[in-house]
This record gives sequence, C-alpha cells and structure tokens, in this order.
Amino acid sequence: MRQLLRLTHPIHLVGGLTIWGVWFVAIYAGLSIACSIAPPDPESDMFTGINLGVGLATLVFTALLLWLAWASVKAARKAEVRRDCYFAFISAGVYLFSAGGTLFVGYPVVVLPPCL
Amino acid sequence: MLGVSVVVSLVLFALWLFTFRRREQPQRTPREEQRIMLRWVLGGGIALPVVSIVALLLLGAPTGRSMIPLPLPEGEAELIEVAGHQWWWEIRYPGDNGEPDVVTANRLVMPAGEPVDFRITSADVIHAFWIPRLGGKRDMVPGRHTVIRLQADSPGVFGAQCAEFCGAQHTAMLLHVEALERDDYDAWLAERRAPPEHNDEFSEAREAFGEHCAACHTVEGFPEALIDDDVAHDIVGPDLTDIGSRPTLGAGILPMEEGAIAYWLMHHQTLKPGNRMPPHNHIDAETLQDIGDWLETMEP
Amino acid sequence: MSDTKDATLTPEVRQLHKGLDEVWGNPKGLRALTVVNHTTIGLRFMVTGAIFFLIGGLLAMLIRTQLAFPDNDFMSPEIYNQVFTMHGTVMMFLFAIPILEGLAIYMIPKMIGARDLVCPRLTAFGYFCYLFGGIILASSMILEIAPASGWFMYTPLSSGEYSPGPGSDFWLLGITFVEISALSAGVELVVSILRTRTQGMALHKMPLFAWYILAMALMIVVGFPPLILGSILLELERAAGMPFFEVAGGGDPVLWAHLFWLFGHPEVYIIFLPGAGIVSTLIPVFAGRPIVGYGWVVAAIIIMGFVSFGLWVHHMFTLGIPQLALAFFSAASMLVAIPTAIQIFVWLSTLWLGRPRMSLPMLWIIGFLVIFVLGGLTGVMLALVPFNWQVHDTHFVVAHMHYVLVGGMLFPLMAGLYYWLPQVSGRMPSERLGKWSFWLIFLGFNVTFLVMHWTGLLGMRRRVFTYDTAMGWDIYNLISSVGGFMMSAGVALLILDIALHFRFGRKAPQNPWGADTLEWAMPKPPTAYNFVSLPKVETRHPLWEQPELSRTIYEGRHGLNTIHHGRRETWGSDALTGKLRETIHLPTNSWWPLFASLALAVVCISLLVRVYWLAAVVALVAVVLLLRWSWENGVHPNVDPEASREPSDPPLHYHTMNGPGVWCMSVSHLANGSLYLSLLFGWFYLWTVAPQWQMPETSPLSMPLLVGAGAALTLGTLLLRKLVNGLRRGEGAGLGLSMYGAGGLGTLQTLLIIAVMWLAELSPTENAHDATLFVALCYVLILSSLGAVLCILQGLRVGYGYVSVELPMEPVVVVRLWYYNLVVYWSLFVAIWVMPTLLGGGA
Repeated sequence: MRQLLRLTHPIHLVGGLTIWGVWFVAIYAGLSIACSIAPPDPESDMFTGINLGVGLATLVFTALLLWLAWASVKAARKAEVRRDCYFAFISAGVYLFSAGGTLFVGYPVVVLPPCL
Repeated sequence: MLGVSVVVSLVLFALWLFTFRRREQPQRTPREEQRIMLRWVLGGGIALPVVSIVALLLLGAPTGRSMIPLPLPEGEAELIEVAGHQWWWEIRYPGDNGEPDVVTANRLVMPAGEPVDFRITSADVIHAFWIPRLGGKRDMVPGRHTVIRLQADSPGVFGAQCAEFCGAQHTAMLLHVEALERDDYDAWLAERRAPPEHNDEFSEAREAFGEHCAACHTVEGFPEALIDDDVAHDIVGPDLTDIGSRPTLGAGILPMEEGAIAYWLMHHQTLKPGNRMPPHNHIDAETLQDIGDWLETMEP
Repeated sequence: MSDTKDATLTPEVRQLHKGLDEVWGNPKGLRALTVVNHTTIGLRFMVTGAIFFLIGGLLAMLIRTQLAFPDNDFMSPEIYNQVFTMHGTVMMFLFAIPILEGLAIYMIPKMIGARDLVCPRLTAFGYFCYLFGGIILASSMILEIAPASGWFMYTPLSSGEYSPGPGSDFWLLGITFVEISALSAGVELVVSILRTRTQGMALHKMPLFAWYILAMALMIVVGFPPLILGSILLELERAAGMPFFEVAGGGDPVLWAHLFWLFGHPEVYIIFLPGAGIVSTLIPVFAGRPIVGYGWVVAAIIIMGFVSFGLWVHHMFTLGIPQLALAFFSAASMLVAIPTAIQIFVWLSTLWLGRPRMSLPMLWIIGFLVIFVLGGLTGVMLALVPFNWQVHDTHFVVAHMHYVLVGGMLFPLMAGLYYWLPQVSGRMPSERLGKWSFWLIFLGFNVTFLVMHWTGLLGMRRRVFTYDTAMGWDIYNLISSVGGFMMSAGVALLILDIALHFRFGRKAPQNPWGADTLEWAMPKPPTAYNFVSLPKVETRHPLWEQPELSRTIYEGRHGLNTIHHGRRETWGSDALTGKLRETIHLPTNSWWPLFASLALAVVCISLLVRVYWLAAVVALVAVVLLLRWSWENGVHPNVDPEASREPSDPPLHYHTMNGPGVWCMSVSHLANGSLYLSLLFGWFYLWTVAPQWQMPETSPLSMPLLVGAGAALTLGTLLLRKLVNGLRRGEGAGLGLSMYGAGGLGTLQTLLIIAVMWLAELSPTENAHDATLFVALCYVLILSSLGAVLCILQGLRVGYGYVSVELPMEPVVVVRLWYYNLVVYWSLFVAIWVMPTLLGGGA
C-alpha cells in the first residue's frame, strides 16, 4: 500500500485525472444542488456565491495538480530504476494536463451566471 | 473557423502522404529522432489543439451568454408559452391580471424586433422547439419549463419544427411562425382576446361538434350544455377557437383551403397515420362536412 | 521462412506438440459448443459481429432508399422508425463493440505471450450471451415489432404509455444481455493484460495495442453499468409500473438521458480506442521502425479514457440544462482534442522518421486518417454550444457521427483485418480486389456523408421519414443514397476478396509484414495453445530484436514446455515488472457456460412474453447453474486430476493468495461499483431535480433492523478477515467453521433486509421515492445473499479438501466481496436513511 503513494508507481498515471474527475463531479453536482436549493437572483449575473465557490475550488484543485506534476518531475529525476523514472514522467504529464484541464473547464464561471 | 479547419486538415493529409514519397532518409541518432518527434508532438499534438480550443472557448462563452434569458435593462420580454404534443403545438399567450390565456395551436404569432421569451414544455414525450432562422433549438421536457429567448429582427414568416424524435409522426410536426410588427401583434392579440361570437347559423354542426369533438377540442365560448361529457378522452386536442385563420391543418399536413377541414376529418388517418385523433368512420360524411364548414368560419 | 516446419524437430518436441494438441485441441461436432479457447471464441465473436454488420448495413440501405426521393412511400413511418432505431442499435451494440472485443479476445493473449485468457469459460459465456441477446433483438425485426424510439430510447417515448408494444422490451432485455457479455470480456481482458504477460514483459514494455485494449476494457467495466441500471429501471417501469422516469410519479425522464449518455459517450471512445490501437500497431510495422513517443501515446490513451467520461452531457445540450453547466461539458469536450492530436502527430512523426511502405493495410490507415480528422474537426465545432444548438438533431450530426465512428472504427478495423488475415488463415489476400473495395468504400462513404453535412446545415432534421421537395434537399439526398450503395458494393467486394483468399490466396510467409509482435511467432493457422513454449521477452519489439524466437518457441526451448500433467497452463506474472509469480492453471472445455447463458436467454424471453413466474423460476435455475459452474474450480477432480508441477516452475495459482481470481474480483468491483454509484446518482438526482418528487417526513425504513443487518455484515467481514490473515500466516484451524459462521451472518443480514422491506410497506408502483428505495434494498439483498451463499459453499469446499492452508486462494476472493458489501451497505445506509432523516423529507 505504501508504495502506491510514491509518485513513481504507475497508479499515478491515473491519479491526476481521478482528481480532475472528482473535481468535475463536485462542481457539477454542487452547481446543480445549489441551483435547485437556493438559486441566486438572475439580476446578479455571474457575481454570485456559487460562481465564487466553483471558481475557488477550481483554483485550489489546479494548484494541487500543478504541485503534483512538479513533485512527479522531481521524483522522476531522483528515480534509480529506469522504469520508475519513465512512469513518473508520464504521470507528471498527465498531472499537468489535468491541471490545465481543470483551469480550462472552470474558466466559464467568470463569464456566465450559474443557474440560467 | 471552417476555413482554418479545412486548411489544417489538408496540411495534415499532405504531410502524411509526403512521408510515403520520400525515398532517401538521413541516418539520425536517437537524440535527433527524439528532437524531431518532440517538435511534431509539442507543436502539432499540444500547441495546435490548445490554441484552437482556447480560441473556441473564449469565442464561444460570450456567444452562449447572449442566449441566456437575463433580465432586460428595461421592461420584460414578451412571454409566450409553447407546449409540444404528439404531434402538434399548443401556443399560449398568458393573460395579464386574471385575464384568461389566449390559446391557439400550430400557428405562432410573435412580435418582431424585440426579444421574446418562449417558455416551453411538453404534454407527453420529449419534443424540441426549433425555429431554425431565429436560433438554436431546445428540448421540451414533460414536467419542466425551460425559457429560451429568441428574436425575429424583422417581420416575416418562418418555418419551425420538432427537432427531437418523438414517435410515429415526428416528421409531420411543423409549426408556422409569423413575426409581426409590435402594433400588428398587439392588434392581433387584442382581437383574439375578444370573446368570439357564436351565432346560430351552424346549429347542427355545433351540436355534432359537441357530441363528437368537444371532449378533446376546446372552442372558446362554446356552450357547455352542448358538450357530451360521456365521451372518454385522456388526451387533449388542439384548441380550435381560431382554426379558420391557420395556414395549415394537421401541423403542416394540408394547406387551409376551402373544404380542407372536412377533407381532413374524413381522411386524417391516411394523411397522417397514427395521429391521436380517432378515426371518424362512425360519423357520416354530411355531418363531417357540416362541422368542417362551420370550423372554417372560425376566425378571430 | 520455415520456422514452424516439423521436419527438424526432435522426437521429444514432437511428443510435446502432440500432447499440447491433445490437451488444448477443440472437440468436433456437438461438443464444439463447449469450446472455451480464446482463438476460437474470438473468431466466433468477429464472424457474428460481421454478420450483424451486414444486417445493420442492409438497414442503412433501406433508410437511404426511403430518403433517396422526396415524399417517398417505400416505407411507412412506423417501419422507418423501427429501421433507423435498429440500424443504430445493431451497429453500436451488436457490431462495433462485440467485433472489437472479439479482436481483443483473439489477439491479446497472442501479443502478450500467453496461451489463453485468464477465464476461458467466461469468454465462452460472454460469447453465448452476445449471440442469444443479438438473436433476440434481431428477431424483433422479423416480427415487425422492433423498438422504434431511436437507439437512445429516450423516455417517456420508450416507456409503457407511448410505446405499449414489446419493441422497447426487446431493446432493454436484449441489450442488457449483450452487455453482460461485454462486461465479462472487459473484466477478463483487464486481468489478462495485467497478470498473464509472458515472463519479463514489464508494463512499459507491452505492445501499445495492449494499452489501448486495457483502456477499452476498463472503460467497458466502468461505462456499461449505468446503462444496465437504466435498462433495469426502465424495464421495471414498463413491466411493474415503477415510475422512475414518469413526472407524475415523482420520477424524471431526464434521468434516463443521463444514465444513457453516461454510458453513451464513453461508448464512442470504447469503439475508437481499439481502432487507434490498430493504427498504432500497424504504423510502426509499415514505417519499419519503433513508434516514437510510446509514453506520449500511453498518456494520451489514459487522458482519453478519463476525459470521455466527463462529456456525457454534451449529448444533452438542448435539454435545458443551465448554461454554466453546459459550458463545463463543452470545455471538457474540447479537451479531448489534445490526446487525439498527440496520437495523430506521434503517428506522423513515426512515419516521418521511418521508411514507410504503402500496402493494403496502410491504405485503410490513410483512409482512417482522412475521415477521422474531418470527423474530429466537426466534433470540435459541435462542442461549441451555440453551434450545437443550431445543428443538433440534424443530418449534420448524423454526418459527424458517421465520420467519427466509421473513420475511427471501421477503417482501422479493415486495416487490421487485412493485416492479420494471413495470421488467421495462413494466406495472403488479393491486393487488386482489396484496392477496389477500399476505393469503393472510401469514395462511397465520402459521397454519402460529406454531402450530408450540407443537407443538415440546410435544416434537414434527423429521423424524418420523408421530406417535401420544396425544401430543396432532393439532390443532396439522392447523392447520399448513391454514395451509400457505392459503399455497399465495396463491402460486397471485400467479402468476396476474403472468401476467395481462403481458397486461392498464396501461402503467407512466417512474418509477411515484418512485424515486431509475438502473434507472428506462432504457427499459421494458429494452434489452440498459441505457443509451444513461453519465451522471456524484455523488449517492446521481440521479433525485431530476436527474429529466431518463432523457431525457438516452436522447438519448445522456453518456459512451460511440459504437458504430461495434462493441464492447460499459462504464466501469471507481476502486473508491473512482468516477473513470474505463478503458473495459472486454466480450465478446459465445458458445457456450463452454454447452459448458464441458455438459462439467462430463457429468462429474457419469458420477461419478453411477460410470464414473470417462469422468469423467476428460470432465473433461480441460472443462479444454480452458475454456482455449479463455480464449484468446478481449483483442485476439483474434474479440473485437476493431478496437482503435480515441475519443480522449476512457479507455484500453481491456487496455492497463492494474490492470483488472478483476486484480480478478477477487484475488477468486477469496479463494474459493480459503477452500477451502485449510478443508482446513488439516480437517488440523489431524483431527490433534488425531479419536479414532483415526494418524500415522506420520516423514513419508512426501520433503523434498528437496518443497523442490525449492518452489524451482521460487519461481524461477518471481520471474521473472514481474521480467517484470511490466519491463512496468510499458514494457520488454517477452524477454517470450515468460520466459513459457515460468516455464511450464517450473511444469512442473518439477508433476513434482516427482507424484514426491513417487509415492514416498510413501500408502494413502489405509486411513487419514485419508494421505487428507488425498493431497488436499492434489492441490490444490497442480492449482495448479502451472494456473500452468504459463497461462504457456505466455501465451508463445503473446506470439507471436500478444495480449500485449505495449502489452497488458500478462494477465501481471499470471497473476503473481497464482503469488503465491497461492507462499503456499499453502510454508504447506502447513510444515503437512504441518515440523510433523509437529517435533511427531512419533502426537500
């Protein structure tokens, strides 16, 4: 179990996108529930608590994924077995993609009202 | 956008085919190969799509925004309710301050030159409301009311249709849309709001209508006493109050000409097989003719 | 070229060949139905898939005939609706997925140097489920009562009120049956790829094709259960009146759309990934060099696999979901462009750096590229919400999806067909006929569908059975129809080519294309056991670096080269490093898969004709058959008459505690978990979104009984855990007793759940709240009774000596089920009792 946490383990090939997926489900579900329980006034356009919350979540997850990407690169540099280095580099790429993907998918919160 | 896409694809195809044409290959070290590969993958595999999708998103988000029914700076948009039925359209103009709604079918009259909010829903299965010339489509989902904002810039006639497959006669679920100048629209609506006159001229037709049709079809001001309540009905048919003024019958099946309604009443199951109106084999042709003649006079 | 000729073999090796033939050979006659070998089953899958392709193609031609002219009355609208529904259904469910599974089933063991898949009987079971499901579904067409609600079966159009006939039932039951097959193939492909690679083949050394199939199989495992759940719920609504999708009863028709597209979008990638896998296999071979950027491709595959699950709502852009939520999905849809582009440019740079040769398979690859890239570009356009609103549900979308599916799947498949045909038959196909058929199909396809983009932009809706000449669509539709018939002519020529090649094709050399992967090291036509001996492979390109492999394998100079024990054996290796861990003993031919799937087919048919008591009885028979099948396992005398082994080989898998069975159970949990999460999604979705959802003030479920059942489950799990830990330390005292104890606790849990259901007095036909609770409780009921029955059977097996300290494999598998049950039960308790109680009803 311990070794699964090491960034050189191939389980991290799917780590970044799993985190991305969790974030994605969380914002979609959060948005839907927030809109059905407490829809904000349409007048306030995109300046609502919902947008703020989703935006913050996006930034936090992006930061986390970027950090993991960076940590993977470091792990790859230090790895002794070629296989470890290999997987860590690919994981780093996927973490980086996930970070970019998070930011990209989250971007519309700054231009669109939440529930209309 | 289309131009860029086509150029990009053509260049890509040319590159692929070019690799088959080259005969001589220089000897490369693995390091050189790695560099060439990275150039292709970073340039074509990463930069190209990233630039394209970022551009698309930046471009697309504001366009999407313009379709949202946000509150208008002044006043409210005209609200028209549209409900899909298998296979016809119910149009409803909500009355202000307790006035009754104006209800019609298969002909949508809307004001031009201003945004109109359509509040759409469905009475049975999922349909989709689509006036291609005015904008995108929206699904009509039973139990939900969705608002879509459309604007006809100038008066005119548009075709509209159901765009989500909704059963046997999905093909024949057309809607006639007329955009009128605001004044004409107001005049039309006022005329429709006025209670229709019912004279005694077609008394036989009206009696037959009460017996055979009125359980499903509403005609405003039609005397309740004439309606035969015993007829079983679990569906609603189009409101017929102003049927004479509609350009087509059967949601786009027949043009409205003299005698068209009677023809439709006799042959509707061959003209539009599977439609929800039961066949009229048990009613004699003369009665149907009478009903048709009467209904044709029904104009606001 | 005579690597696999017999002339020079020593008598011992000849003996070995003969022995392998005896142990692995397929029986003839009626007993051919018992065959479990992956080569045979893979071919059966592909041939059946091809037949369904022809049926689907015929339906397409009917559609094009109807649409060729305006106001055509070739077909009535009712028949037309059946035809297009079945065209989509047959092509997606009965052709595309099964034929690719078949290819994977056939190819994967050969590529990774194994003798068979890890659960051969499951392979056979999957095939029969597919065959019977397909036949049931197709028979509805002959009876003219085929489903007619479109291949995505939107409710309420497909529900009892608006589709009263049996058409929808055929779809729901037939497709679920076929999906059982897909799931079983998915599970065993994952485990086979991870655990049965030949010695030394580390994860990053396996052929790229295996990565693609690994991703496809995992996506099947996770992606199909939402639709299975949706189908079960809709069938319950139709048959028993539980209003899951009915607004008046507190349901919501949009829930179906969610469940369908949760499956439906990944499905597109499930089809595309193996196609891309074929491309990634062929390009290096014809470029004469290894693929550049193996790691890039792996990353792209993983990204595609994940992101494709984040797109489902993009089929529902017009369903009235808030713009912001749409924007998320729109952006996520665009993200897919990146992994796609990475792959396309990796392929390009491989060609660039190699010396590519043109040949028939390559021609199809070029065709793939052209069509797929065009489809991808229109796909990016469709991801844009405003544009999507304009062309959604028009022929533009029809054209787009055919570009993606035919380009992404059919063309690579044809490339693969021509590439691997010599491997299957030992003969080469005709270049000339092949080229003719390629050009006919390629041009015919483009004539049909390029024009169709335009028809769609002109406003022609999809799924209309005719159109008015005033619309100005006549000529475009006629062109599309002509193109369609051109394509059919190409397909006919292709079939002719393949049929002729079996008779007239010239003999193929050992490695006709100069390929690098292990399937070309086998004798042609292939032997049932693939390899006489299993080599050590530590490179991505074994045949390029060790061209003598096909010879040495044939001469039995590598591993597992004994057969006197009479067992079918293959290697089990470490998922990551490829180090040998165990010798996997594979089961032999059996009637059980056929019997079990036949029983399920009878269940399916009795549900169709609505004889529910019969369905219940036969379902019970099916369960008994499946359990009986599971009884013949491990060291059961029918399976393993002589549990001896060569001293040098790794231990037989049932002597270990981390064998393939444990992996199969874990991967099945993924599928099961996906089903469970879909159910939870349905519960919360209806709770928050359904317009007329009704929830009682207090939960109708008895809390003490629910907690009691949970306590029994928890105790049972702890007991089993202690037992397995004991086995790990080599202590087996009281094994049987503990198993019976756990079985007893499982039974107690089952009874308590029944009591909960009994006392709750649910009215599942009245409202969706009760219906959902009912289904959720049934789900945990099935899990708990399965846990109980398996433990009791384990107790019996201890008595028979099939399970012991020396044979500790099965308890490890069973305890995993209990862990799963534990997580599901308590989380469900929170979802259906704690949360409603805390948040209050009526919310």
